[in-house]
Amino acid sequence: MMAGSTPMLPDFPKELDKGKAIQAQYIRRHFSEELQKAPELKAKGYKYAYLFVMGNPIELLRPFGVFIGVYPEITSLNISYKGEAIPVLDAAEGLVGFPTDVCGYVKMGVASTYMANKIKVTVPVIGHMPEPDLMVLHYTGCQVYIHWWELYQYMFNTPVLVYDIPHLRHLEDTAKPHKEDIEYVAEQLKDSVPFLEKISGVPFDESKFKETVKITAETWDYWRQVIEMEKLVPAPYDAYFEAIYYMSMITIYRGTKDALDYYKYLLDELKARYKFINEHPEYAERFRLIFEGVPPYHNYKSFWNLFKRWGARMVYATYPKVPGMELFRFDPSRPWESEAEYMILPYCNINYKDRAEILAKYVDEYKADGVVIHSIKSCKSFSSNHGDFKEYLSKELDVPVLLIESDHVDPRYYSEAQIKNRIDAYFEALSLRAKR
Amino acid sequence: MDYVMGIDAGSTYTKGVLMNEDREIVALDVTLTGANINNAAETIRRKLLEKSGIKETDVKLVVGTGYGRYVIRFGNIQVTEISCHARGAHYLFPNTRTVLDIGGQDMKVIKVNERGDVVDFVMNDKCAAGTGRFVENIIKSFGLNFKDANDLALKSRRGIALSSTCTVFAQTEAMEHLAIGDAIEDIMYGVFKSVITRAIGLITRVGLTPELTFTGGLSLNPIAVKILETMLKTKVNHSDMTMFAGAIGAALYGVEKLETEKYIG
Repeated sequence: MMAGSTPMLPDFPKELDKGKAIQAQYIRRHFSEELQKAPELKAKGYKYAYLFVMGNPIELLRPFGVFIGVYPEITSLNISYKGEAIPVLDAAEGLVGFPTDVCGYVKMGVASTYMANKIKVTVPVIGHMPEPDLMVLHYTGCQVYIHWWELYQYMFNTPVLVYDIPHLRHLEDTAKPHKEDIEYVAEQLKDSVPFLEKISGVPFDESKFKETVKITAETWDYWRQVIEMEKLVPAPYDAYFEAIYYMSMITIYRGTKDALDYYKYLLDELKARYKFINEHPEYAERFRLIFEGVPPYHNYKSFWNLFKRWGARMVYATYPKVPGMELFRFDPSRPWESEAEYMILPYCNINYKDRAEILAKYVDEYKADGVVIHSIKSCKSFSSNHGDFKEYLSKELDVPVLLIESDHVDPRYYSEAQIKNRIDAYFEALSLRAKR
Repeated sequence: MDYVMGIDAGSTYTKGVLMNEDREIVALDVTLTGANINNAAETIRRKLLEKSGIKETDVKLVVGTGYGRYVIRFGNIQVTEISCHARGAHYLFPNTRTVLDIGGQDMKVIKVNERGDVVDFVMNDKCAAGTGRFVENIIKSFGLNFKDANDLALKSRRGIALSSTCTVFAQTEAMEHLAIGDAIEDIMYGVFKSVITRAIGLITRVGLTPELTFTGGLSLNPIAVKILETMLKTKVNHSDMTMFAGAIGAALYGVEKLETEKYIG
């Protein structure tokens, strides 16, 4: 089979594709109402808490009623997705002084906040980046991330709340945190309450914390069901390219009724899609793949098309699990320990051996034809073991693996002709394998 | 008898093969790609027809490969050069299980099965280090051609190691070696060795399963073959046909498609 010899996977009818549009409205709300209106919201007593996507303890912040989460990673990826990365990278390298090889998220995150608050120039596609009132350093698995928050501290003299999160070592059970580690983090969460009360000026209400964890638990259960729907053949959605849109609600609005309602709706939409695909086989995938790694946001849709043109759909992907693995369940009956466990479990905090096992397990469970790995120069935490994953899957388990390299936010490291060539060759080989 | 044409539009050269339905090569030719890929492909088509005396109407399919494959306006189907080099190398040397291809702008190592299908592959990253262009740029800056560079490098007594992976910086580094009085023979050896060292890195990633076949333009350089064989301590398949491996593979895909169509009716 050659590229173009079979039709491209079509887009779903609009009535079956509202999930992405709804999340886009929420993203706009985040940037235009929550961040753009920082001066007036700050005057009303709201505080901007900078958080990472991976394993943040937003459930602990929401009960205070004054913290607004800011996610500079999401800021950076949105700038890149909208095609505005180059001027911001230029500012990061020229004005701020970063070397080119530093993580693109860090460079763009620092530059966009610096530009908005120090030289009073905002990046049009995201608008104003508020000056932080609190930096929560809850993901310590990446050394560069620690220094990222440190830079904001120097710029704005902002207090940094540090939670020391143990690395998830390889234990007997795959991706299962150690009891002592959970207790260690839970104690830190409890110890941080007086500090949060001081910053917010609001007394902590534990019942509100429990209630927030309860909402998250319910939301998480719907999100998990969405993920597991991909075990169906044909698959009702792309577990990478579409799930990245879907994941924004579990990332930005976790612990709110909005997020809960969103995933309830999404699950229904996807059930309707599954029924539709069964009645319209031209929407069914010809290849089922698993995707590991962060996407090239700057060329998001054209990159996706390189797979669609071969009729391929991702049925499982690790990246949308970065905010937390679906193996985990929030438990409202033990909120402190549950929050702690969640903070230990982000995908990048998991040791490489378990990550390889997770990939292998899902090849089997999701009936995948192969694995695509996109390695990025920005993120050593995500990418440094990709060569070993490829070797393990292809040599020991006979799973066809494609390893491609570029960057997630920096378009200067992306060469579509080269990437397309590798993807086409991979599908040619998969086609022959399927035929024989 | 029916015929197919395989055209490999590479970054430096466009190669063409005319093959009959019995998988026999009837004619082959090569031309510089230049700025207009379609014109180069057209030139090759004309030359192949002239050389073979085959009528155009007897050519049932044209299969394009290489970076310019989608630009060939008269191409019927397109297949990547990764699949084509695998198939072409296997055709030339049927015991091939690993293919090293070094062309003008990329380097690839392909693991193939007993049918010549791709099992796995790796390629160089997107910079020009480890490609034919890397060698070409440096030897050109010395006012040499590939034959001169080969003749000189084969006389080297102690090769010089170039540490730069950037083509432009490596060119400067080579010039510096000349300035400090190193022998040009040793510098030329260092240039070829630099590329082959990178190739061995890729071969290690895929795993070397004998036999290894060396394809692409660089395989025509005896010094490159010699360094490869010395470093790997193994015999390497190569011939004056290996630069056509991509075009041969493309033609083989064409024959396969003809057979399928006839079978389906």
